[in-house]
Amino acid sequence: MAFILSVINCSVGMFLERGNHMFEFKRIFQKSKYIEVKSVGNDGEKKPNIPSGMWVKCETCGKILYNKDLEESIMTCDNCRTHFRIGCHERINYTIDKGTFIEYDEFMISDNPIDFEGYTDKLQNLRDKTLLNEAVITGEGKINGQDTIIVVMDSTFMMGSMGCVVGEKITRAIEKATDNRKPIIIFTASGGARMQEGIFSLMQMAKTSAAIARHNEKGNLYITVLTDPTTGGVTASFAMLGDIILAEPNALIGFAGKRVIEQTIKQQLPEGFQRAEFLLEKGFIDKVVDRKDMKDTLTQILKIHS
Amino acid sequence: MFKKILIANRGEIAVRIIRACNEMGIQTVAVYSEVDKNALHTQMADEAICIGPAKSKDSYLNMQNILSATVLTGAEAIHPGYGFLSENSKFAQMCEECNIKYIGPSSQNIDNMGNKLKAREIMINAGVPVVPGSDGAIVSEADALKAAEKIGYPVMIKASAGGGGRGIRVVSTVEELASAFNTAKAEAKNSFGDDTMYMEKFIEEPRHIEFQILADEHGNVIHLGERDCSIQRRNQKVIEEAPGAAMTEELRKQMGEVAVKAAKSINYKNAGTIEFLLDKYGKYYFMEMNTRIQVEHPITEMITGVDLLKAQIRIASGKVLTYKQEDIKIQGHAIECRINAENPSKNFMPCPGVIKTLHIPGGYGVRVDSAAYQGYKIPPTYDSMIGKLIVHGKDRDEAICKMRRALGEFIIEGVDTNIDFQFKIVNNSNFIKGNFDTSFISKEFENL
Repeated sequence: MAFILSVINCSVGMFLERGNHMFEFKRIFQKSKYIEVKSVGNDGEKKPNIPSGMWVKCETCGKILYNKDLEESIMTCDNCRTHFRIGCHERINYTIDKGTFIEYDEFMISDNPIDFEGYTDKLQNLRDKTLLNEAVITGEGKINGQDTIIVVMDSTFMMGSMGCVVGEKITRAIEKATDNRKPIIIFTASGGARMQEGIFSLMQMAKTSAAIARHNEKGNLYITVLTDPTTGGVTASFAMLGDIILAEPNALIGFAGKRVIEQTIKQQLPEGFQRAEFLLEKGFIDKVVDRKDMKDTLTQILKIHS
Repeated sequence: MFKKILIANRGEIAVRIIRACNEMGIQTVAVYSEVDKNALHTQMADEAICIGPAKSKDSYLNMQNILSATVLTGAEAIHPGYGFLSENSKFAQMCEECNIKYIGPSSQNIDNMGNKLKAREIMINAGVPVVPGSDGAIVSEADALKAAEKIGYPVMIKASAGGGGRGIRVVSTVEELASAFNTAKAEAKNSFGDDTMYMEKFIEEPRHIEFQILADEHGNVIHLGERDCSIQRRNQKVIEEAPGAAMTEELRKQMGEVAVKAAKSINYKNAGTIEFLLDKYGKYYFMEMNTRIQVEHPITEMITGVDLLKAQIRIASGKVLTYKQEDIKIQGHAIECRINAENPSKNFMPCPGVIKTLHIPGGYGVRVDSAAYQGYKIPPTYDSMIGKLIVHGKDRDEAICKMRRALGEFIIEGVDTNIDFQFKIVNNSNFIKGNFDTSFISKEFENL
């Protein structure tokens, strides 16, 4: 690539003539104007490429996040504070002290009580895909050294819907807490009652609420943490019965869906409707807590009530 | 050998890398911010991609855009230059994940040496002499007090995540300790987000001697002699020279071997620099390691005849080092003056602007590494360096004469420069005698 760079010789004291012939630098190096998107022949070696999953786009603000940064920030966008949904195992790892978690009823799986068509196969597929047995994990563990019973729902298993197994696991966990005078923390994430189990699902609402009532009568602590999304039969039962109700920022919390409400009342719904901050303002929840502060907040609450 | 390399940098170092690639027949891709559209590196490369607006964090520090640009153009490797992403272990790791060869050390090397406390620990374990200091991090004032008693005043409180001279306080008496500890800690938290502090003995009037290392990916490590970078102003280098004026053959051999041992102990790959402090009693201590090519690399090239950039590229492509330690011979003496667009009489305030007149010196033994051209508009968003003036003479006296001569020929009009200030330094009697240490500028040019 040949180029000519003209050097203007000037000894101190001489002035350059300016004006019309401004030194045109751009055309000195001949270069194509456009980006040549050609791939270089690597003789079959692996070409540079960005592996899928390395970068994740935040759906709310559009910022592109590096997957390792995302893990470090516990799956929250550092730009707009949006909390990504996480699975129950991840939740337990962030909340419970390492090595202290003991799971209850690990192998409880659902039957098909009203013979709903396709339900049995759907359950098997989900179990294979998500490696979870159901939409909730229950157990006991320590949070900064303090004992607690913990329940974590998972929205990846059939939208976290509550059927007999979910209801039974949660009830057993609540009863264990009552019998042992331990606090219980429930992380909710659900689309509501499980349609495929009909009236049995509806009854879980009553069953879990009754267990909470007995737990409460004995003077024990129940903390709910509402995560995105918490709707339907779960909201209408145990989720809103906590002595202290916390929520993650911007979590969707409601009973009926937004569209159904709009069509029924034939009105436009306000900005931020059914989001955690809106509920806080209207007095339905006690505090909105960032994921990074959740463990500390729970620790404090447990300490005060111990 | 690579067929195409992307240069993730700008200014004179980007030009330097492009030149090395051109000589090796490797295609080049330049990345530029919006204000660098007419910059020399953008114009010189075979291809150029705009990667963002002027602010560094949106362009030259924008890892996603740079990686995308690399994949889009089909470049197989990235050279990070110095500054910007060159010591960012996360970026090096991202390159590894995307199957892009990072022309530099591994992300593990960068991580280990980037954390000053960890680096110290590693060197102590490798048997490399370090500045006497605290056993690990200092958490409280009480710790600081105890450590200072043990080390002996004067002491230096340093930030583990530090750099650029920040998060450092020198303490001479026990009364000043508490407040110095707290302000340094706060400064570290502000500047680096990490207020882990440690303490070292303050070496008075040291010389800053650094050794250039080259290590290939097959375990061969050599050093290419030292550079004396004691002429500094506020921890920023102003003049560098090679070999060091106060060095002896014996000391060079000793320190060189220690430098190679240090690099080997961490399985270092590619080019790097081990910095030492040399005190007035001839004792030397490891200070830190820079895991990248440095600004002052040309002076080492002049005295050894080794093209460091080409060596970096060859190492990264898996080739064995062509030089053995006995092949490295030091010939003559080289000096480099950094030419910046700044005004020495106004506290070295940066002066961006248009270079209306530019006459670059030439002649035997004169080299200028610069991205400036006549009519170039220096943007205010980046550092103020216009270029580097390097001379090579048969000995130190000749090199100084050449530098004097070359500085006199260097004409830059349209922006203020530090050329006159450099001229003063090379005419200073202590400089000429080789009598200086890191306190030189503040002593000799007190009012600055």
